[in-house]
Amino acid sequence: MTELPDPRPRVCDGDDGTVRVVGVRCRACGYTSGLSRPRCPDCHGPVDEALFGPGGRVWSATVVRIPVPGRTPPWSLAYVDLDGGARVLAHVRGAGGTVADVGARVRVGGVGPDGDLEVEEMP
Amino acid sequence: MTAVVYGVGSSPYAKQPERSAADLVAEAVLEALTDADVTSVDAVYVGTVFGAPGVAQRSLHPLGIVDVPVLAIENACASGTSAFHEARAAILAGRYERVLVVGIETMTARFGGAIHPELTDAEGRQGLALPSLYAMAATRYLRDGAVTREQLALVSVKNHRHAIGNPRAHYSGEYTVEEVLGSRMIADPLTLLQCCPISDGAAAAVLGPRRGVSRDVPIRGSALRSGGLWDHRSSHVWGYQLVRDTAALAYEEAGIGPEDVDFFEVHDAFTIGEIVTTEALGLAEAGGGGALVESGHTSLGGAQPVNPSGGLLSRGHPLGCTGVAQVAEVVWQLRGEAGGRQVGGARVGVIETMGGGVSGIDGNGAVVAVLGG
Repeated sequence: MTELPDPRPRVCDGDDGTVRVVGVRCRACGYTSGLSRPRCPDCHGPVDEALFGPGGRVWSATVVRIPVPGRTPPWSLAYVDLDGGARVLAHVRGAGGTVADVGARVRVGGVGPDGDLEVEEMP
Repeated sequence: MTAVVYGVGSSPYAKQPERSAADLVAEAVLEALTDADVTSVDAVYVGTVFGAPGVAQRSLHPLGIVDVPVLAIENACASGTSAFHEARAAILAGRYERVLVVGIETMTARFGGAIHPELTDAEGRQGLALPSLYAMAATRYLRDGAVTREQLALVSVKNHRHAIGNPRAHYSGEYTVEEVLGSRMIADPLTLLQCCPISDGAAAAVLGPRRGVSRDVPIRGSALRSGGLWDHRSSHVWGYQLVRDTAALAYEEAGIGPEDVDFFEVHDAFTIGEIVTTEALGLAEAGGGGALVESGHTSLGGAQPVNPSGGLLSRGHPLGCTGVAQVAEVVWQLRGEAGGRQVGGARVGVIETMGGGVSGIDGNGAVVAVLGG
């Protein structure tokens, strides 16, 4: 079976060992998104590729404890507001069944083996 | 012109995989046509989400409902009310005299557990199952001190109690706050009894212009919107602004405010959903929905009951059917035909349905409608 196009966020490894999310910034109004967009969804202006993170702050979080196809529970999810301005959904690496703290600082960890965007809690 | 509801009907809402969509639709439509005292319709608007291609016509032709326009509408959990909204608009535009609205969903043969996250969606592909979308809102509300775990549980206690008076409900019962909070965790902080069941069902309504029949129920306002961008600039939880803005349009058309409404049937797929929705509908300030349910204001016998049918939590949630099930409930309430769950003195009722699953926006679609008065 042909694989579906992957709609999840993409990342870019920096020379300094950090990882950032690849999204867009509007040339006209400055709107930012952590995902590819063909034009600014806010003002309809042209967009350029932009990088977000590596740091961010947890806006909200949960742990999913029910199975869905291809996944074994639990997995820990967070909405993260990345530095530079983009809210992305990410898996919290190594969190298992623990809910991430709202307001906690995290950093982009990369894309996991299953293609999920992952963040790490800051020590 | 005013469009009115002539009649309504429904199947039971239950786990009933042995029944076909056509079988469920036949039960709902025949009851609605009899209730409306009509024998034919000029068009059919159908709400369904996971219905097989052609499920509308496949379910209607055995009843001899053929030769007329049949349109299926998918708008996630708001599919049924989107069909209702568009049917009403078609009547007001003079396109049709009698329109049949049908909501159809057969889910339990398709899903063993929760609805599968949509793999073409950026967040669905990341594993954001629907309970976790609402769980995100609940976590944020708890953190902000806008609700307590006990207040969340009280929504479940209330709606399961309301459904004891509803023989069509998926299930019902007297639960304690402790039982709700102690049930299995689904997506923190939402436990099993704070999540709607997966149900099969069909519901139907017949709409038309006023015809001088006193038991017909007028539709005084109806609004449908899809969500704006929901992103790092959004301070409200997912869905709040969409429901608030859609409600404002419906209230304006009806010429009323939330204080004029006697009862509500709203989208409580998860307990936090009812809390946020009562705030968005103007029953409480933002952050006041928890205290509202705790006060008894939204219980049967309270000043403005919310979900006297049991809501999605207890009546059940066959997705595309749900909006039409809400219409049927509001019509029965306004006619005084709601039996053991009757809201005393019900003159004006409001329906709210919220569909989600597309990430990046505040909701796929919301419908708010004002009936009666």
